[in-house]
Amino acid sequence: MIRKVRNPFVVSEGRFGRLLVTFMALGFLALVAAGIGAGWATGQNESHTRSVNHTYEVELAVSNARRLIEQGEASRRGYLLTGNPEYRDAYHRWSAATPVALGYLQHLTRDNPAQIATLRQLRGEIQALLTQRARTIALIDAGRADTAVALFRTEASVRRLTLIRDAFERMAVTERRLLSERDAAQRTSVRIFYGILALAAVILALVALASLLTVLGYTRDLARSRDSLREFNEHLEETVHERTADLSRANEEIQRFAYIVSHDLRSPLVNVMGFTAELAAATTPLTELVDRAEAEAPHIVSEEARLAVREDLPESIGFIRTSTQKMDRLINAILKLSREGRRVIAPETIDPGAIADTVAGSIRHLLDERGIAFSVRRPIPPVVTDRVALEQILSNLIENATKYLQPGRPGVITVAGEQRRDRVILSVTDNGRGIDPRDHQRIFDLFRRSGQQDQPGEGIGLAHVRALAYRLGGTIDVESEPGRGSTFRLNLPKTYVSQDSAA
Amino acid sequence: MNAHQSVGIVMIEDDEGHARLIEKNIRRAGILNDIKHFTDGTQALHHLFEADDGPAKGAPALILLDLNLPDMSGTDILQRIKAEGSPLKRTPVVVLTTTDDKIEIQRCYDLGCNVYITKPVNYESFAQAIRQLGLFLSVIQVPAVEEH
Repeated sequence: MIRKVRNPFVVSEGRFGRLLVTFMALGFLALVAAGIGAGWATGQNESHTRSVNHTYEVELAVSNARRLIEQGEASRRGYLLTGNPEYRDAYHRWSAATPVALGYLQHLTRDNPAQIATLRQLRGEIQALLTQRARTIALIDAGRADTAVALFRTEASVRRLTLIRDAFERMAVTERRLLSERDAAQRTSVRIFYGILALAAVILALVALASLLTVLGYTRDLARSRDSLREFNEHLEETVHERTADLSRANEEIQRFAYIVSHDLRSPLVNVMGFTAELAAATTPLTELVDRAEAEAPHIVSEEARLAVREDLPESIGFIRTSTQKMDRLINAILKLSREGRRVIAPETIDPGAIADTVAGSIRHLLDERGIAFSVRRPIPPVVTDRVALEQILSNLIENATKYLQPGRPGVITVAGEQRRDRVILSVTDNGRGIDPRDHQRIFDLFRRSGQQDQPGEGIGLAHVRALAYRLGGTIDVESEPGRGSTFRLNLPKTYVSQDSAA
Repeated sequence: MNAHQSVGIVMIEDDEGHARLIEKNIRRAGILNDIKHFTDGTQALHHLFEADDGPAKGAPALILLDLNLPDMSGTDILQRIKAEGSPLKRTPVVVLTTTDDKIEIQRCYDLGCNVYITKPVNYESFAQAIRQLGLFLSVIQVPAVEEH
């Protein structure tokens, strides 16, 4: 009976795989997002650093330009007061450097319109200042120091200087404000970066948690299916054990039954045979009586009486005798089989080849007489089994092979063996007359024979062989083609394991 | 048998045919002692232990016992005969049966059976065996049963 059951050993691997792939994809997405965020944040940071440097450079350039103008003013005033030419030289140095410094400042602030406007105004003032200074220096050089001092008194150089200082201050402040704006932007970008990182971390943690839960669930399912598999296995073993025990019990019962039946059949048979013998013994004086009567008074001997004594009685007794003898042999055969089943098996390591040689040795005269070539094809793997049983099996098979030869063909018998996993297969092959395929199963039944009945026997040998093979935990079968030969294959466990219900 | 012709043979055998064949062949061996035949264990035990002319009451006897009886096992009868305190403890018992099981034979000897013979199926051997048993019976001595 086949029953459709839900297979408890299959965990839905497809669903599990899809879930894991989804989680992994999510995790990777989160990582990629975090990476992009980090890249963007680094870029922001770099540009911010550049801006900060720029601001410092602008501040430096502003203070440098301012210093040059202040120092130029100080040198002019020194020259005006003392007429010392060292002041004049210093003045020329500072004046020459001022346009360069201003040019650098203009280059730095070229992207800022507000600064450029301030700088343009500044340049105008400075140009006026420089012109004034150049005139003062020229007057002193010409020896007209008084005129230069008088001019100095009237000029508005102090107010102009204040204007210039304020303009420079404005530029510096503007740069400072720009810097603080950029700082705020930088802080915002850092916050955004941290936000992205935190989000990615949360997604990763969730994905990890979900994956962990899925894996745990899957593992639990696996463990459960493994448990049920083991339970099923144990149960199976138990079932097999029970069945084997049942079989053994049934087998033992049949053996016992066969033993009792064959035994009880013998009792009446003793009577049949005994009284038949008595009858046979009784015919002797009767025959003598008829003989004497015939000689002395032929008229009292009827034809019927003579026939009864001389033919009917001996014939009947003869038939009864042969039949009872046959019955006796059959009963003995059953008895022998049942005894074989009760015999204790004594497993030992055996070389089947050596056993085959022993068997051949014991029928050597038969083999020689019939001109049969017997050989054992080695190597044959050793078997752990019962020596007596194996000997009887091989002896029966080899003797059968010698009995059923193909007329006109010299017999060849080969014994071989091979191991297949934990079984050993022994074969006895002949080139005899073969067995009709219809009889391949029948020949192993008790009292059944095949082909021409030209050899003595009761049809017990192969039944015996099969009973012994079963007893050793093995099987026997035949492969044969009429007229070509037969191969009997004995399939035995490599190591005999007791199957008795007691075991 | 012995000098007194009074030793009786008690044959406990459920098969009439066997009994007849055994008797015939014993007679052919020249044994003329009285043979009492019982086909079941109950009657046989009654004769052995209770009957006025039975062995327990002083009539010396030799017992031929079959093991397969309809109402009880022959070994039960053997056990009763050979039991400690039984008046028939020393009475010779010949177990004559079809069983040739080794364990059964051992058990009978353990219980005190004197001779164990398996009935051969082949009649010639059977007749031969019984005749030899007859010859054997003709020479063995049977103890007198003690009075109680």
